[in-house]
Amino acid sequence: MSTLFKLFISLFICISLTGCWSSEELTEITLATGLAIDKDDEDGFKVTIQVVNPTEIAGDQISNRSSVVIYSATGKTIFEAIRKLTKASPRRVHLSHLQVVIFGEEFAREGIGETIDYLVRDHGFRTDFHMVIAKDTTGEELISVITPLEKIPAQRITASIQSSQNFWAPTKEVQLYELFESMTSTGKEAVMTGVYMVGDPEIGKTVQNVTQSDPPVKTRLNSIGIFNGDKLIGWLSEKESKGFNYITNNINNTVGWVECEDGGKISLETTNSDTKLKGSFVNGHPKITVETNITVNVGEISCSIDLSIPESIKEIEKKLEQKTVDLINSSVNAAKEFNSDIFGFGSVLRKSQPKQWEKIKGNWPEHFQQTEIKANVTIEINQSGSITTPIYDDVMEKTGSGG
Amino acid sequence: MAMKHRIRKKNNTKRIEIDNISSHFDVNLSNELEANKKEVFRLLGNSSDVETRAFQLGKIHPVNAAIIFLEGLIDKEIVQNYLLNPIINDLRGTNANEKIPDVQQLYQYIKNFNITTAELTEISNFKTLLQHLLAGDTILLIDGVNKGFAVGARGAKERGVEEPTTQRVVRGPKDAFTETISVNIALIRKRIKDPNLWLESFVYGTKTQTKVTIAYIHGIVNPGVVEEVKSRLDKMDIDAILESGYVEELIQDETYTPFPTMINSERPDAISAGLLEGKVAILVDGTPFVLLVPALFLDFFQSNEDYYQRSDISSLIRALRFIAFFLALLTPSTYIALTTFHQEMIPTTLLISLAAQREGIPFPAVVEALLMEVTFEILREAGIRLPSAVGSAISIVGALVLGQAAVDAGIVSATMVIVVSLTAISSFIFPSYNLAISVRMLRFPFMIMAATFGLFGIFIGLLILTLHLSSLRSFGIPYMSPFAPFISNDQKDAVFRAPRWKLRTRPRLINQRNTIREDSQRPMPDKKG
Repeated sequence: MSTLFKLFISLFICISLTGCWSSEELTEITLATGLAIDKDDEDGFKVTIQVVNPTEIAGDQISNRSSVVIYSATGKTIFEAIRKLTKASPRRVHLSHLQVVIFGEEFAREGIGETIDYLVRDHGFRTDFHMVIAKDTTGEELISVITPLEKIPAQRITASIQSSQNFWAPTKEVQLYELFESMTSTGKEAVMTGVYMVGDPEIGKTVQNVTQSDPPVKTRLNSIGIFNGDKLIGWLSEKESKGFNYITNNINNTVGWVECEDGGKISLETTNSDTKLKGSFVNGHPKITVETNITVNVGEISCSIDLSIPESIKEIEKKLEQKTVDLINSSVNAAKEFNSDIFGFGSVLRKSQPKQWEKIKGNWPEHFQQTEIKANVTIEINQSGSITTPIYDDVMEKTGSGG
Repeated sequence: MAMKHRIRKKNNTKRIEIDNISSHFDVNLSNELEANKKEVFRLLGNSSDVETRAFQLGKIHPVNAAIIFLEGLIDKEIVQNYLLNPIINDLRGTNANEKIPDVQQLYQYIKNFNITTAELTEISNFKTLLQHLLAGDTILLIDGVNKGFAVGARGAKERGVEEPTTQRVVRGPKDAFTETISVNIALIRKRIKDPNLWLESFVYGTKTQTKVTIAYIHGIVNPGVVEEVKSRLDKMDIDAILESGYVEELIQDETYTPFPTMINSERPDAISAGLLEGKVAILVDGTPFVLLVPALFLDFFQSNEDYYQRSDISSLIRALRFIAFFLALLTPSTYIALTTFHQEMIPTTLLISLAAQREGIPFPAVVEALLMEVTFEILREAGIRLPSAVGSAISIVGALVLGQAAVDAGIVSATMVIVVSLTAISSFIFPSYNLAISVRMLRFPFMIMAATFGLFGIFIGLLILTLHLSSLRSFGIPYMSPFAPFISNDQKDAVFRAPRWKLRTRPRLINQRNTIREDSQRPMPDKKG
């Protein structure tokens, strides 16, 4: 009895003295979905957060208030700036549901290293957010744009990066740990997708932006930005970005086309792409072989071609192979121009030829320029779609005979 | 001083009183009928339901005789046809003394030739006389003999065998135990026609004189458990047993546990299945709920219907019960922990939706949850006690007023209503009401733990719960077996139920001697051609 009583008392004290330590009711916090980091001329950093207004998004009565609110603050360090946000925000900002971190282009060109340290170190983050660069603008302006369809603009950016990566391919999802790893390891450089905006930023901040079917201010995905260390040094074109994704085995599904003999075009949908990188040394010079196996489906034909003849299939495959090799080469050339090994060729060499890699490791940027890259692309056409002969043929036949 | 007084009163005063009366009962019957009758009436306080009928044996030199019985407890038809009719008619018109010169011989004659009932006991003292009389026997006393007969012609109003009201099944026998122990025993005997089904009866309760019978299958049961049950029953010292719950509380292993360590069931098939596994049944007169020991944690998840349906279906349903156990136990606490401590664990869209609902709710999540849970417990309890005529009123009040209106009024969030409903529904899935009550109780400490320590608190709670469960024993058998200790051979009928032909052995720990149940083979169609 007395033991039980003592146990009860000690348990009771334990529970009541700790109280609800570190508990936060949902009504006491506010969720940040986007974080933009820019350069501030006076203080160093300018941090802008986008927090959601839950009742506007999921409440019973939706008014026409904005579904997100923007707060910004400046500070000598990122952490300081983020804490300063509490001066503006009525509730404590919860960063665990961050969807996207946007770096202003100007800021990114000066180096993002310090911010990455904070993002990795702080335990309040869930590390699955996307990281993008606001091309030709500041992160603050980009994050302030109110977008249609997705009520949370930050979610719009992540959703479009994902769908664009999955179905079109010139962009790349970059999450914190990947960025952190490629920024710090030798033999690989970081990349990040760029986002730019069209239209007047001031209109973008208002709800009017979403009252039209064609919003005056839009955010668009750009292609991939190249880093050297923690500094942004340039942009790949869309074609080069696609080549980059072929090399890094990051293609889920994309569309390409080849020209027919008579000038029409055949669109081909890549359904599967598998790339293997092999590193070797030839006469002391590093060599990388890019082995790519691609499966495609025929998506659209606007010329006269008979797919039932194996030779014509072969021909299309050949053409697409050549195009893909060109794509890869253009991407490699662009990277060599910026002298940034975004493909991770260095780490391929380190894994396959560790001893020789040790010798050239210190001088890798120089050697990267001299690396021979050989692309072997194998294309296989899998399906021709619901019809075999092109409708183009039938139309030609009809107009030919009728006219 | 006051304390001392109380203890003395408890231990001595009452006991002396009882002893006086029972020693008084031990007096033997006298030779005189009138004196005996008077004494019986006096001992029963001239109660109004004690009735007597005096008559004479023989005509010329009649011998006085009388029957004494309790109104309502006897079957008058039997008493008239098989007791009074033979005695009075046989000796009518004769000189009783002439035909049978001695009263002692008359007594023997009546016993051997006149009374035609199956149950007949000779009684010689008031103690046994009263025992029989109060049990519903008819007492026959003859003047000049210091003995009498207790004729078993009981006919108290009994409820017939009806459908079980608590443990319903879709497929399976529809009979249930009744309040009469003899009927209950018969219901078991009807199922197990084995000479090894042994029964032992005892009478407990100084006032109620309740018959308690233990049943087991000799050769399957662990004799140690039978001995343990008997010795624990023997230690009972109680004045009244009105339900098997009295016995359960006095002989269970552990009082301070939320978990039941004895099974109770009103289904004869469930009890029979238990006996066949090597368990001991304890039947108590006056209640349809029969106890079964030893009980394992697992037993409360098993319904007897699991064995009537096909094994795949049963396995799924049983797995569902385990899921429901955790849902019923942890849903409100997990909700509290996640929304107040671990917001990062909730998917963003869900969290935004939750936040939108919580906007404007005046209480913290834990208060909201406690409020709703307590309200629901009140509703549920009210639903059980209410007369059935107003039962629908409760559901209207519960569903509309408390559910919808509370959300509309902004007192609780809609999600909380879903959480409470889910918890409530999950706790109804258990075949045993016992375990459902345990879960109902444990939910609240878990909610408090979650509110103070978050998920960490829930895990501490689960840890304590696991330790506690593993420390429990039911009549010497570890409560968590076959999980702790792990018995691989018994897993066939644990979380899942294997097909019938695989259930060849009885649970290892309950039954240590005769473990092979049957020698059946997997059914295989004959291969022809």
